[in-house]
Amino acid sequence: MTIKRKGATSILFLQLLFILPAFGLLSLRDGKFDIMTLVAGGVLVFYNLFQYNMMKVSFKHIDRFVLLAAQFLWSLGLVVLYRLDPELALKQFVCLLIGTLAMIVMMVLIRRSRDFGRLNWVFMGLTLLLLASTLVLGRTTGGAKNWIDLGFISVQPSEFAKILFIVVSAYFLTTRDKLVSFIPYMFFTAVCVMLLVVEKDLGAALLISGTFLIMFYAATGRTWLTLLGVGILGGGAFASYKLFSHVRTRVEVWQDPWSVYQDGGYQIVQGLMALASGGLLGVGLGRGMPEVIPVRSSDYIFAVIGEEFGIIIGIFVIIFYLVFIVRGILIALDARSTYDALLVFGCTAMLSLQSFIIIGGVIKLIPLTGITMPFVSYGGSSILASMIQLGIIEGVAVKNGKADEAALEMMGGEMR
Amino acid sequence: MKDTQKFKRHVRVCMGIFITLFAVLIVYLGYSVLMYGEKWFATPYNPRLHSAAESIIAGSIYDRNGNRMVWTEDGSRQYAGNADTRRALSHVLGDAYGKSVGAETIFAKYLYGMDKDILERIKDIGTGQDKNGNDISLTIDSELCEYIYDQMGGKKGSVVLLNYKTGEILASVSLPAFDPQTVGKDTPEDTSLVDRATMGRYPPGSVMKIMTAAAAVEEGIDIKYTCTGEDIIEGQKVTCAGGTAHGELTLESAFTKSCNTYFANLAVKIGGQRLLQEASKFGFNKEWNFSDINLYRSNFEVSEEEGDVAWAGIGQYNDLITPMHAAMIAGAIANDGVMMEPKLLKSVDFNGYTQFNYTPAKAGQVTDAATARTIKKYMMEVVKSGTGTSAAVKGTTMYGKTGTAEFVEDGEVKNHSWFVGFIEDSAHPYAIAVIFEGAGYGSRYAAPMAGKVMARAIR
Repeated sequence: MTIKRKGATSILFLQLLFILPAFGLLSLRDGKFDIMTLVAGGVLVFYNLFQYNMMKVSFKHIDRFVLLAAQFLWSLGLVVLYRLDPELALKQFVCLLIGTLAMIVMMVLIRRSRDFGRLNWVFMGLTLLLLASTLVLGRTTGGAKNWIDLGFISVQPSEFAKILFIVVSAYFLTTRDKLVSFIPYMFFTAVCVMLLVVEKDLGAALLISGTFLIMFYAATGRTWLTLLGVGILGGGAFASYKLFSHVRTRVEVWQDPWSVYQDGGYQIVQGLMALASGGLLGVGLGRGMPEVIPVRSSDYIFAVIGEEFGIIIGIFVIIFYLVFIVRGILIALDARSTYDALLVFGCTAMLSLQSFIIIGGVIKLIPLTGITMPFVSYGGSSILASMIQLGIIEGVAVKNGKADEAALEMMGGEMR
Repeated sequence: MKDTQKFKRHVRVCMGIFITLFAVLIVYLGYSVLMYGEKWFATPYNPRLHSAAESIIAGSIYDRNGNRMVWTEDGSRQYAGNADTRRALSHVLGDAYGKSVGAETIFAKYLYGMDKDILERIKDIGTGQDKNGNDISLTIDSELCEYIYDQMGGKKGSVVLLNYKTGEILASVSLPAFDPQTVGKDTPEDTSLVDRATMGRYPPGSVMKIMTAAAAVEEGIDIKYTCTGEDIIEGQKVTCAGGTAHGELTLESAFTKSCNTYFANLAVKIGGQRLLQEASKFGFNKEWNFSDINLYRSNFEVSEEEGDVAWAGIGQYNDLITPMHAAMIAGAIANDGVMMEPKLLKSVDFNGYTQFNYTPAKAGQVTDAATARTIKKYMMEVVKSGTGTSAAVKGTTMYGKTGTAEFVEDGEVKNHSWFVGFIEDSAHPYAIAVIFEGAGYGSRYAAPMAGKVMARAIR
């Protein structure tokens, strides 16, 4: 236990060692000293420390590593956003505060997770409603119709639908056994994915279907059926390749972005050039040229990180996601009820799939699908959704800790 | 769900998959950026290069003999010499506007000092050196390039001369050329921005017989054949240049006289797959990833049809080659089958301190040394008594192979005039490739040009 805490403290310390010099550098940009930038950095440091300690005190058994990994990721995101446009960072920070509240609410709600099942049909209806809402009210950005403009703020309903999808999945997969009884669930999944495909939000469609397959496999262990599902997903991908010209373009662009630089390849090529320009150690914060990278603040933020901090920090980002994922899965394995376990596993699987899809897309390992980078990308809906998922994971971790404590007390021991 | 143990096992399997996926992400990120980063960076598309030009005094570019070819004066790039000199070197140097690919873009990271890592940059800011880029020296002989440019007399085509022991490119000229000094304002002549030496992909014609002969020698195939000037292979008619009947032939005499019908039959005997294998060894169908030049891929295909194999074996069908690659092949034959990687960057200098020196690197073993020597003997015969006599150089022995590659333009059959060759001279281990687009027979245009250039190069 003590070793664990020391590790957590040193990660926290490293994190501060990153944030403070970063804002220090930013405050000296344009040759003059800007005190507001240092203040912003101070606020972020204070917030991270405050949040960490508050969480540690209010919830005795939170998983520190998961929280700290998330803190590192959003701090890096805020540094990059501040560098791009301080106003974006401010908006993002406000969303982060709201997200923290949402996380805490989720941690409290998760205590009663066994009652979620009663609301299952409501959740299902709500998921479909959210997904369908953009069809009626949505506006189109970047080829996909996945935003709703509420006037003062724009929301991306699919970000919240995907969490409800995990909740619904966990319920079905823990309460049903026979294959026949899964039919409503499978139908539900198919409708969700199809709605997303119609909205041309292929990133979310891929994310939901991927999470479905992973959760289905973990819960039922039906390898062949899962592989069949992978096959259907592949067939669907192939069909959309044949049907939609924008999917075809993406694949062609992926194969050789340089030859189609003028039409379609521009974004990937700019991303690759940014990564190449950064090299191993990066050109340094504020010295790159992110203004030429499309969607630099959200989907393509990894390219900005690569240019200014180098692939070394890029690799650190991937490692922090990995820490988050491994810890998340350990919490799932430790959970007392299979429902909680599947809930946490679903959230972890979705976050890892999401970060893999977007980082892999930016570095041209896989075709690019527009999706945000969890915790890092700019976007209120995105950060809120990531924080809710974090809340689910931490909520179950706290439950696990309490159960351990109770078990120890039964044996007459004491939790140090 | 009943069995929690099973569930946990499946979750662990998934964890293993996630860890693997993220490990792949890390490895691929590191691999691709370190391996291809320089290529990605040094493209004319990169806006960082144009923006750097505004704040950084780019370094000068020198040739191998220390002649300054490009420098920065009052914030703009200046090119040495008159319009002809500048045109002769235009494709090697490129331009500062990102219109073409040359040293200005490929080595931009040195010229603009972007190769420095963050620690060096901080040091430079401290010493006030952060506004200066590095100087570079190329392996190019600028006077030789100018001579070649003059001799080409405005005819479309390309000449490449390289050192086959080290891979250093001494001359690479492509016509039509542009003037880098004025290309920013001018509308350049059609296709003049394309460097034909590295990006021009031409049917090789009889130059390909070097590869076909090498495959035959490796396999020990030497057919006896009597040439009547034409032959029909699986319905496709193959003819010799001018319908000449070469009579009774062996591999050596067929090579010397460049007999198409003999080589067409030989190719069929060797077989399509074996030819394809040989072509791959010679570097066809390979995505080159050289650090100094942006060399396009050469192409070689065969089909099930024997007629296609026959045509592929004599450098037609879908065969395509760049002049640079042709020179590399000639050089590999001279160099006991070892093909060297073409090098353009000789050194990088900063404040009189050399930061980088080129090191010769192998690009591959195209054939074994014994086969290379046999082909070498054939190539000597070509210049001594065969189709390439006009390439002979006084005072040294020239080895070579002519090529006359057919292509169709505007419904009219025309011929590219090819010559590839080398000399054996320990002080001047040079290989050369010459092509004139649509000029006619290789022996009439390219071969004498190669002789002249070689004579000038060893002067």
